[in-house]
Amino acid sequence: MDHTNEDHNRVHFPILSSELTAALGAIEDMADGTDAVPDSVVRGRPPAIFRAGGPMLKQFDQSTASSRKGSQAPTPPRSVVGIGNKVAKPDYSEAKIVLAMVGLPARGKSYLSNKLMRYLKWLEYDVQVFNVGQLRRSRAHHKAQQSGILEDHTSSYFSHNNVEATKLREQLAEDSLEMLIRWLKRGGNVAIHDATNSTRMRRAKISARVAKEKGMSVIFLESICNDPAVIAANVALKVSSGDPDYKDLPREVAERDFLRRIKEYEAVYETITEPHLSYLRITDIGNEVTLSRINGYLQSRIAFYLMNLHVKPRNIFLSRHGESQYNVEGRIGGDSPLSERGLAYAHALPELVRNNIGDAPLIVWTSTLQRTIQTAGELPYPKLTWKSLDELDAGVCDGMTYEEIEQAYPEDFANRDEDKFNYRYRGGESYRDVVVRLEPVIMELERQENILIFGHQAILRCLYAYFHDLPQADLPYINVPLHTVIKLTPKAYGCDEERYTLPIGAVDTHRPKPGSTLSPPDVVPASTTKREYFGTNI
Amino acid sequence: MAAPLYTTASGLLFHAGKILILTVGLPARGKTHISRALERYLRWMGVKTQVVSLGDYRRKTLGGTKKLPPDYFTLGEKSPETMALRKMVSDGCEKLIEDFFEAGGQVVIYDANNGSRTTRQALAEKYDKQGIHVIILESVCDNKEIIETNIRNVKISSPDYRGWDPDKAVEDYYGRIRDREKSYETVEETTWPFIRIINVGEKIMVNNIRGYLQSRIVFFLMNIHNRPRMIYFARSGQSLIEHSYKADSDLSPAGWEYAERLKEFVVERRAKSLEQRGFDPNDRRLVIWTSTRRRAHHTAWPFLTPTHSTSIPQQLPLAAAAPPQSAVARNVVTTDEAGELTETKATADSSLKVKVIEKTQMSEINPGVWDGLTPDQARKFYSEEWARFVKDPYAFRAPRAESYHDLSVRLEPILIELEREKEDLLIIGHSSVIRCLLAYLIGLPASEIPAIEIARGDLLEVVPTSYGVHSQAFHFWDGPGRRGEGVDGDGDQEEGEVGKSRRDETNFYENYAEDTKGKKRMTAMDIGFLSPSMREGGEGAMADGT
Repeated sequence: MDHTNEDHNRVHFPILSSELTAALGAIEDMADGTDAVPDSVVRGRPPAIFRAGGPMLKQFDQSTASSRKGSQAPTPPRSVVGIGNKVAKPDYSEAKIVLAMVGLPARGKSYLSNKLMRYLKWLEYDVQVFNVGQLRRSRAHHKAQQSGILEDHTSSYFSHNNVEATKLREQLAEDSLEMLIRWLKRGGNVAIHDATNSTRMRRAKISARVAKEKGMSVIFLESICNDPAVIAANVALKVSSGDPDYKDLPREVAERDFLRRIKEYEAVYETITEPHLSYLRITDIGNEVTLSRINGYLQSRIAFYLMNLHVKPRNIFLSRHGESQYNVEGRIGGDSPLSERGLAYAHALPELVRNNIGDAPLIVWTSTLQRTIQTAGELPYPKLTWKSLDELDAGVCDGMTYEEIEQAYPEDFANRDEDKFNYRYRGGESYRDVVVRLEPVIMELERQENILIFGHQAILRCLYAYFHDLPQADLPYINVPLHTVIKLTPKAYGCDEERYTLPIGAVDTHRPKPGSTLSPPDVVPASTTKREYFGTNI
Repeated sequence: MAAPLYTTASGLLFHAGKILILTVGLPARGKTHISRALERYLRWMGVKTQVVSLGDYRRKTLGGTKKLPPDYFTLGEKSPETMALRKMVSDGCEKLIEDFFEAGGQVVIYDANNGSRTTRQALAEKYDKQGIHVIILESVCDNKEIIETNIRNVKISSPDYRGWDPDKAVEDYYGRIRDREKSYETVEETTWPFIRIINVGEKIMVNNIRGYLQSRIVFFLMNIHNRPRMIYFARSGQSLIEHSYKADSDLSPAGWEYAERLKEFVVERRAKSLEQRGFDPNDRRLVIWTSTRRRAHHTAWPFLTPTHSTSIPQQLPLAAAAPPQSAVARNVVTTDEAGELTETKATADSSLKVKVIEKTQMSEINPGVWDGLTPDQARKFYSEEWARFVKDPYAFRAPRAESYHDLSVRLEPILIELEREKEDLLIIGHSSVIRCLLAYLIGLPASEIPAIEIARGDLLEVVPTSYGVHSQAFHFWDGPGRRGEGVDGDGDQEEGEVGKSRRDETNFYENYAEDTKGKKRMTAMDIGFLSPSMREGGEGAMADGT
């Protein structure tokens, strides 16, 4: 062995021989002591040698600690001290996409914008919707408050013949685009320009403006709707949900005006045919899709996602499994059967579900762990078992109580609370890992109609965060109590929610963030379906 | 055939019914490449899929170009004999299509030129009447380079031109294309759903696509390309504790040595392979994927550090601190999930442009309660489960564990990214993960996945070709841990050779792979034999796979 190599070895594993001996000793101890390890006999079987939380694993862990430190990769992810490690956010810094909507009013543009935003944010892209209507309203509002002048925003404002207003609207669209580009430059990934962008000229302008920015690309997303029923529903939603444009107007008047506004747009509307633009055209949400000049990974994902959407009314039910024996003992993970109260919950479910859904078709999804399968046991619906729905893998801490973890791995315990979303259990998973693994589940969920999911706390937190657009930092603290069915009804701008708590007692497994008196994510968002009319960007 | 989430009584998945994909395009437009890639992917999803290639069928029944009547490919009036021959070939193909659907197949990709609108219309109407969804898949190429490369690499090596002078063959082939161009009608009709791929994935246009399976097909097609590239697979180095999933232990001394050796060998081997194919290795980047497990991403470490470094880089290694004898790349590790986002910062004199990406989905198979057990212990303590595992090692899931099937499902996004990746790729992975990925690339049936033997110390080189992949294994290392010996085997080189007596009895999945006699040991010969590229004269690669 030449000098260089020796040196090299010394650097990588400074106390190699002693730690190897220790490790081997640990392994031998374990091999010998297999039958002697008490308290872990599940179903009359011996524990795995590296039983979660077992003293041997800990011993081994300590014995190799120095070698681990010495071999840390030069850049993140860096292992934190102790057993687990923390993973940095994926680097999306080079993804800069402008997604410009195209479509007549009431064609679901905002619906698609919001949906996409939620999906991409959940995948940790930085996404923002820039809604030109919002900007118009908030500016007018501002003006009205300052000077008392009320702008006329009835249909004549949107007429192509109204030269003054057309200029104003052009200006608004351009301002909104500038704001959007500024935001992308500051580090955003996907900016959605939610406006009608209905003429070739407007699109050419957008495309020319974005082309000036290095590394940015623009995709047009046209939404066409031929179903009169869907348009009528959209119109009704628009005029009845408190749009300030129609404040204090009788419904019929508002509706007439809005329909006139659509007519004004129709007069000048040009569907996308420009061969040099990259665009995605969706007809009747998901029924038919045209892609042109779409390339890139994120782009193909967006396209695939949009192809899987539908707008049929449906409900998604989320429920944790009934109380398990591990819940009662305060242990995490494991694959324990239900407690008596958990079984009572399983027994009470069929009636609750039937009362809610009647004879409508329903598919039940469970994880592969017996507590969810047992919980779904008495329901007379088709069932599907997903490995991807299994609980977050707590690695070495699987099967321990929080007290035991705190005792065995105090530093880790603290680290986890510091950044629970990113904390990865040694040999296990982080919440971020779970989000990655749930992505195909979300895709499937978008395609399906009525679904009832029996999941686990961490899993349901991730799914719930997707439907309610909750930030990653809050995600691990969402309160999903036992013996409660959460009913989500997707609506145009979010999800309606109802909770049914069965009067069957259960332990509370929710741990609020220590030291935090605020607990906003613990609070159920009553409804996120309300449309934002003014937005935050003025 | 690896990852359907469920099965159905009819054998048809995703409520999609039966689908016939008609390829349309002039010769040498990558139709076969696209067809085969799609076939591989759909089969992997569990969809019973078959490519029916008109060219292959013609070659099989009539023989190569020289045996054909002179007017077979030319334009204009054809003799009645030639007409009869052509009809016989297309009838034969249609028979193959019908047979496959009748036998329970779900998707047929009819790989033919289909350049005339009336032909397409007739075919589509015929099958539409039988309740089969017809999709037109047109491949258009306006990039002359792609066409030329395609002709040189694929067409003139086909049995049609066996024994021809290459330049003459190319000329003959261009002649064939020219004649077709005159009668070619691009797809303008919107009667049928259609997908148009421009320059093999550069751009894509889709019309009237409905339903999940079809959208999945589009998603896949959006992510493929035929830029020449190499894919390498190697196992991670030996770790301090080999048989524990939970321990996530670090590399052993032998593991670190292995990592260094791996780097040297990959650099050397890749340079050779690229030169053989006429590429300059200095122009190309090497992307390395590892799992987030320590032993995997630490095996990639030497790629990021100077060859004989004596210091632990604390931050990005600085060019100034690098030893002079080797060019140093300053590289960036990302923990990115989507790939392609972080630029490598390489110094000007760099000979190795590397990017390392950790992927959470690439963790090894989770052994659940069997973690750390030897096969003997598992058999003893979990006899019932053990029996089921032996019966169906692909689908059986031990308590808390993942089956190979679960693993395949988890790896699905990785496959898409694998297809997408344009740079040369080295996957440093756990053997279970390599098994699944390799099975996908080669087109092995799922049932064989658990038995694929991936020896530590072998570098697998997989080169995508138009008919499939060409793969070879190179043996480069014989140290401890090659076939799962315990950490105590350190240093004793003589016994390092395939010694069953010295292997680590606790290494569960490896022992399974090694013990299945008569199954796949991944040597160059075996892989070559399995590779569809060896069967291009046949009517369809892996025709017996379903």
